[in-house]
Amino acid sequence: MLTRRTVLAGMLASTAFPAALRAATEPYVLGTLFPMTGLLSELGSIYTAATALGLEHVAQDKRLSQPIVLKAQDSQSTPQGGAVGMSKLANVDRAPYVLVGLTGVAKAAEPIATRAKVVMVNGGGVGPDLAGLSPYFWNIIPLANQELPTAFSWMKRNEIRRVALIYLDDPLGNALRKGLQDGLPAIGAALVGEFSAAPSAQQFSAMIAKIRETKPDLVYVASYGTQQTQIFKQLRDNGITQPLMTYSVGGTPSVAALPESEGLLFTSQVADWDAKDPLTRRFVEGWRARHKDNPNTYAQNYYNAVLLYAQLIERLEKEGKPLNGDTLREGLATGTFDLVGGRARFSPSGAIDMPTQLNRVQNGKFEKVS
Amino acid sequence: MLLTQLAVAGIQTGMLYALTAAGFALIFGATRVFHVAHGATFILAGYAFLEAMQMGAHWAIASLVALTVAVAFGLFMDMLVYRPIQKHEGSFFTVFVASFGAGIAMQALIQFFFGGGFATISLPLTRATELLPGLYIAPVFWVALAVVLLVFAAITLFLERTHAGLGLRALSENPELLRAYGLSARRLSALAFVLGSALAVPGAILTTVTTGIQPADGAHVMLVSLAATVVGGIGSIRGAALAGLVLGLVENLVVSVVDTQWSQAASFVMLFGFILFRPNGLMGRAGAR
Repeated sequence: MLTRRTVLAGMLASTAFPAALRAATEPYVLGTLFPMTGLLSELGSIYTAATALGLEHVAQDKRLSQPIVLKAQDSQSTPQGGAVGMSKLANVDRAPYVLVGLTGVAKAAEPIATRAKVVMVNGGGVGPDLAGLSPYFWNIIPLANQELPTAFSWMKRNEIRRVALIYLDDPLGNALRKGLQDGLPAIGAALVGEFSAAPSAQQFSAMIAKIRETKPDLVYVASYGTQQTQIFKQLRDNGITQPLMTYSVGGTPSVAALPESEGLLFTSQVADWDAKDPLTRRFVEGWRARHKDNPNTYAQNYYNAVLLYAQLIERLEKEGKPLNGDTLREGLATGTFDLVGGRARFSPSGAIDMPTQLNRVQNGKFEKVS
Repeated sequence: MLLTQLAVAGIQTGMLYALTAAGFALIFGATRVFHVAHGATFILAGYAFLEAMQMGAHWAIASLVALTVAVAFGLFMDMLVYRPIQKHEGSFFTVFVASFGAGIAMQALIQFFFGGGFATISLPLTRATELLPGLYIAPVFWVALAVVLLVFAAITLFLERTHAGLGLRALSENPELLRAYGLSARRLSALAFVLGSALAVPGAILTTVTTGIQPADGAHVMLVSLAATVVGGIGSIRGAALAGLVLGLVENLVVSVVDTQWSQAASFVMLFGFILFRPNGLMGRAGAR
């Protein structure tokens, strides 16, 4: 007999069933908030290519019950673009896991992601204040302050005493400036000149005239994007023959392609493209096949970020837990992960612990110095 | 010696500003079209030169390619964007918005084809050598100086000694009277765009080889051109060129007393100063339209 209770139960079941079915058949969403346009679009292309390679390899492995789909937003290399893009990813695309790059963009997007409980994984921004930014913010790249000790070791060995600094007046530039101010005296060196650059500046000949006056042993450049390459070119064109040094951003292809970058020193996480472990081989060979060149550390980081997502989903599927920001965060805090470069885990502040190395631009290629 | 070095850098920057600003001032002075897309002309010329050089062309051929592209874009804007608008409505604001939109569209197109990154070409000309103790000058400085002197001499002769040049000046003074004398305002307007766009080319080429260019540079070029036009006196090509030189000098010399990141701001402080205390600029006339 059809009672009122049966009808109500039937109605509830009919509304709940499609939702349950949908949850079991919907693909997993991976969001990206990369600089596809603007001053740092070159980096966005590298990040996207590495993410695509990671997704291709995850799909080939067929270890997940559902595929991962990519939802991409362009940060336009600006904090404003980052905030708008993150709103769309969190509220429209419902991405529980978003890859970000660039310090300013990540900081602008973070409050929106945290409010929506979206896990952000940064593989490109190196501002030291990205550590511990939010419980939902994780860094899969060593931050700039983690790179400086390697730079100091080289300076000490090479008896660098006088360092001139060109820095972009933003959180990253100021953090590196502070790191140099604090760290140089410990190796018997000093900052003999600090020259700030406006983000839109393109003419540096006047600044370089002042740098020459300080008679530095080395010039450290804490900028990024197109401005950074313009600085390297103009330093050399304007008669600076001393060694030039920068942080991991020196490892971008446009830097290597610039003849004036020859001899440039830069720190980065350890990257061994000849390592024999299967994960590294698959990544490096996949990259070389597509791009006819070696990858760089940014590509490694975003490829790793995709593998990390896949490993987290796999664990949640095995444990029968739902996929959301909180379960992902819990997995990141407690797990160890097999990534290119070795087995990794995260510190409580959300930073990955990786060794760093010093590199040099030699004949248009990057080579390890120490 | 620091001040001398800064002055040399300032003159070099100022010469490039002068060329670009003179082109904008010529177009604005003759046609009263606020050609914001002049920045895009500059970038197009730079990329055209770069592409031609990378394809193995001689620098003279590459310069000719850049000139052709810049002039073609200027004529395109005049004939297919401004003229139809002026025919229907012709409001200053509509033309300004159309120019602004075209500039942005062109920037996006350049970015699409050449990427958003920095582009340059390395030449021995840009490598500075120590001329005196502490004074470094690159050969490109002398090239820029020669080009600027040559271009300004040529444009002055053209405007003052030829019928077309006189017609251009008359176009800015009284277009109706020009028609009464049987001269074509349309042709003279096209000529203004040809010359104005051509004036952007040397600056674009020299900028490409010295500092490098990127698609987003159009906005900076336009700001400098606008500032120089206001400081120099609206409608005055000589004023704009002189103001461009002064802006470059101020931008570099100011570094000796303030932090390096404020150098560009100094130019615009000067611009405000002129707007407040000498609104007609260095060579402008009181009551100019």
